[in-house]
Amino acid sequence: MTFLQWTFLFGVVAVAGPVLAHLLAKPRFKRLPFTMLQFLKNSQTESHSRRRFRDLLILLLRCTIIVLIALLFAQPILYVKHKPKDTKHIYYLGLDNSTSMSYTDGQSSYFERMKDSAIGYIVSTEANAVFKICPLVSGIWTQELTKQQALAEVKALKINTGSADIDAFLSGVVNDNRNINPDNKVFVLLISDFTPNTLGQFLNFQEPALVDNFKYETIVSSRAINNASIVNVKTLEVNYNELEVNVTITNHGQTKQNRQLTAKVGNNKSASIDVELLPDQVKIFPVRLDTDFNTGMHSFVPVELNLSPGDGLKDDDNYYLSVRLPEKKEINIILTEASEDQMFLLDTAMQTLSGRDSAGIIRIRRIGIYNLDSSNIDWADVCIFSGIEKHLAYMANTLAGFVKAGGKAVFFMTGETDPGAINQLWRLGVLPALPKKFTQAQTYPEISPFDKQFLEIDSSSTMAIAAKAMSNYRIDRIPVTGFWECEPHVESKCLWRYQNEHGFIYCKQIDNGMTFLVNTSADGSLGSLAKSSASVALCRYLLGEYNRVRDFSFTCDQRIVLPVADFIIKPARQKQLWVQNCNGARQQAFMSNSSILMPDAGGVGWVKTLTEPVIYAGVNLPVDETNMSKPIVEEVGNALERVFLVGNRNVIASADSLETREQKPIWKTLVWIIIVFLLTESVLANRLKR
Amino acid sequence: MELVARCAVEGFFSGLHPSPFHGFSVEYSDHRQYHPGDELKFVDWKVFGRSDKLYIKRFQQETNTTVYILLDNSKSMSFAGDRSVSKSEYGSFLAAALSYLMLSQGDSTSLVLFAETIVKKIPPKSRRTHLNVILKTLQNNKPSGRTNLAGILHTIAETTQRRGLVILISDLLDDEGSIFKGLSHLRFLKHDVIIFHTMDHQELNLDYEGLIQFEDMESSDKIRTFPQSVKQTYRQHVTDFLDEIEKTAGRSNIDYCFIDTSEPLDRALIAYLAKRKRTR
Repeated sequence: MTFLQWTFLFGVVAVAGPVLAHLLAKPRFKRLPFTMLQFLKNSQTESHSRRRFRDLLILLLRCTIIVLIALLFAQPILYVKHKPKDTKHIYYLGLDNSTSMSYTDGQSSYFERMKDSAIGYIVSTEANAVFKICPLVSGIWTQELTKQQALAEVKALKINTGSADIDAFLSGVVNDNRNINPDNKVFVLLISDFTPNTLGQFLNFQEPALVDNFKYETIVSSRAINNASIVNVKTLEVNYNELEVNVTITNHGQTKQNRQLTAKVGNNKSASIDVELLPDQVKIFPVRLDTDFNTGMHSFVPVELNLSPGDGLKDDDNYYLSVRLPEKKEINIILTEASEDQMFLLDTAMQTLSGRDSAGIIRIRRIGIYNLDSSNIDWADVCIFSGIEKHLAYMANTLAGFVKAGGKAVFFMTGETDPGAINQLWRLGVLPALPKKFTQAQTYPEISPFDKQFLEIDSSSTMAIAAKAMSNYRIDRIPVTGFWECEPHVESKCLWRYQNEHGFIYCKQIDNGMTFLVNTSADGSLGSLAKSSASVALCRYLLGEYNRVRDFSFTCDQRIVLPVADFIIKPARQKQLWVQNCNGARQQAFMSNSSILMPDAGGVGWVKTLTEPVIYAGVNLPVDETNMSKPIVEEVGNALERVFLVGNRNVIASADSLETREQKPIWKTLVWIIIVFLLTESVLANRLKR
Repeated sequence: MELVARCAVEGFFSGLHPSPFHGFSVEYSDHRQYHPGDELKFVDWKVFGRSDKLYIKRFQQETNTTVYILLDNSKSMSFAGDRSVSKSEYGSFLAAALSYLMLSQGDSTSLVLFAETIVKKIPPKSRRTHLNVILKTLQNNKPSGRTNLAGILHTIAETTQRRGLVILISDLLDDEGSIFKGLSHLRFLKHDVIIFHTMDHQELNLDYEGLIQFEDMESSDKIRTFPQSVKQTYRQHVTDFLDEIEKTAGRSNIDYCFIDTSEPLDRALIAYLAKRKRTR
């Protein structure tokens, strides 16, 4: 017996109460002169002894009740030995229904052979056997089947797209084994092709399963394996007329492969490429495809690659890839600088980012602050100022209009600043914070970029997106020699702070536009932000977050996460989105701040949203699952012998008393005993008064 | 006391039953030879006329019987269970009633109060005024001391010169064997013995509740008990005790009358006299 709350056992000390009361209590009585005491004496001798007995009995009962209550609060658990039951033979069947089992060598598929073997095994067992069957892909056990039910279950078994989940199978055996009667006989049968992927999982399993016997059957072809698969595709270049991808193909078989590789986007099909691969050879093949993408409506392009003719395993001959095209847009940026080369770092960063993976057209003008006029501002989508010079006072109204129209303006606080220009911009609501006083003191920007709660409260606001754009970057520990003490606007947000808690970067949304104030150093340069990697974040935000090419292909055992495109955010603030999985089934996907979390892929193929424009994700087989290399017999035997311990089950189970015993909480019994004792006590106490 | 005695005897009893002592009339007994000194009025002259010899005519004694009322005056007689009349008071009333009855019939009546020894003894007299003496004694009677009934009975037997009627009023809380030895002594001397066994209702039934310490009235004995738990056994013991006394009295040809002090005095007397009449 053990106690869950053993500290309550100290309550037994309370037994001292009734014992002391019994010892110290003086009975209250009245005196009465009487005559016939000799008759009383005769009666009293008998009664007194009985009364003392009853008194002690009551004391004992009261003490017992206290002890029982203490026990009750301590929550005792009794370990009861399993009653010997009828010995049963329990068969755990692990049947591999992974994709690799669909391999066909010209005679029959692995899967059919496996089913035949399993049926033969079940038929050979005794009539009262109990079966527990686990299809290895799902890892979900079907429990307590009779022989007939087991046969029906095996016959109804189908191939599931994906890899075998050996961990789920073994955990099921181990856990279930703990709870069954040690007298029962446990047998395990595992039928699989034991591909390297499957076998590898056995090596990772730590806890052995105790069984009375185990048997495994390796389903392999007697012929040479004939299988090549597309294992990876990478987009090299894409524009609105052409798509070029690199396709990695592996020959997992033992025969030379002579195949044709084609790519397809909608109705457009690439020319076939000859693929020649020796056994175990890996090769990359570039594929070029003419396309006719012309609008942002085709942001996600489904690209399907195919190897033909088919081999033993056809499921890995296709590869599905979704390519996100860059949004086709032009961005005009004006970098205004008070002195020469102040904007050099930002200019370089933007040029680099725009040239690397952006399909948009970015034009950058670097001009002196005093050359800035309204025509420049009208031209620009983004204006960046190295300081707030006097000239900006004249341009304040133009800048306010620019921002309200959706422009983005960034003000660095460097060098000389003009109070008049500051006041003018502040009055018009352009500045997110009002610089009041310059303080010459050394400090550092905080490492933490911004208030994360802000994102969670209003994640879809433009400010939040701006903040998020910078959240993944860290500011280098660059000391500043001074900073402006700023008064933030009520509608602005401090994205970054100094260690002294003064604001470092403020931003403010003005209609569709945004303004930033970077309260950086007075060293004449753009200071910390421009020097650090954080400038990349700012530039990326200013240029547009999604302005680059990305591939989206997943394996069927992965969670599919797609980015939320700009065109989805605004119309859809909802948290859920209808999607169609690879099987064609409609499902609801969850939408977070920046991602769409797709539910079960349902196989290989395409997962896509049901709203226009369609977001695609390609779903393919796990790379390991396509590897059909024949297993080495000894390796399989060693791996399984490590996992299944034969013959020790009864001994080990008996040695571990906790395992062989059943836990029984006895609080109900205690409660009934206490009730009975309380009743007995009250009856006895009542009789005692007579 | 006198009023109570008279009411008990006259109001309910007198006239209902003939006196058991009535009938002690002047009747011829036998003749004997005349001796000088005999009174001439007792000479039977008719016999002298026929036989010429002087014979004296003898008659039965003309006086009524002598009644000895022995009233137990020990401390135990002061017990009054339900704060009603005590056994001693009840016994006094009974003694007074009997005295009234006896004296009104012309019987000589003696009263003996006793505890461990004889406390008070009023010699037998048949005058009506003797009743006042008895009643006064009974009124001033205060029970005290332990019981020594057997000793008292022997003493009475030895000191009474004339045989008569001995009426014992007591709770008989003494050694049972000794008591009946004393009574047998009286019977041996041709006394007619009547026992009025007075007991309180609580002594019979022990109808108490709660924890009680019973303290003996004549000794320092104490018993603490829950009366309810011993009641059954106690009653059985008491019943056995009473049965034994009644049987022993019957065997000794002694009239035994049990009286519960919770019953009215006249009812006890009526019951006794009815019984007495049946047996005579």
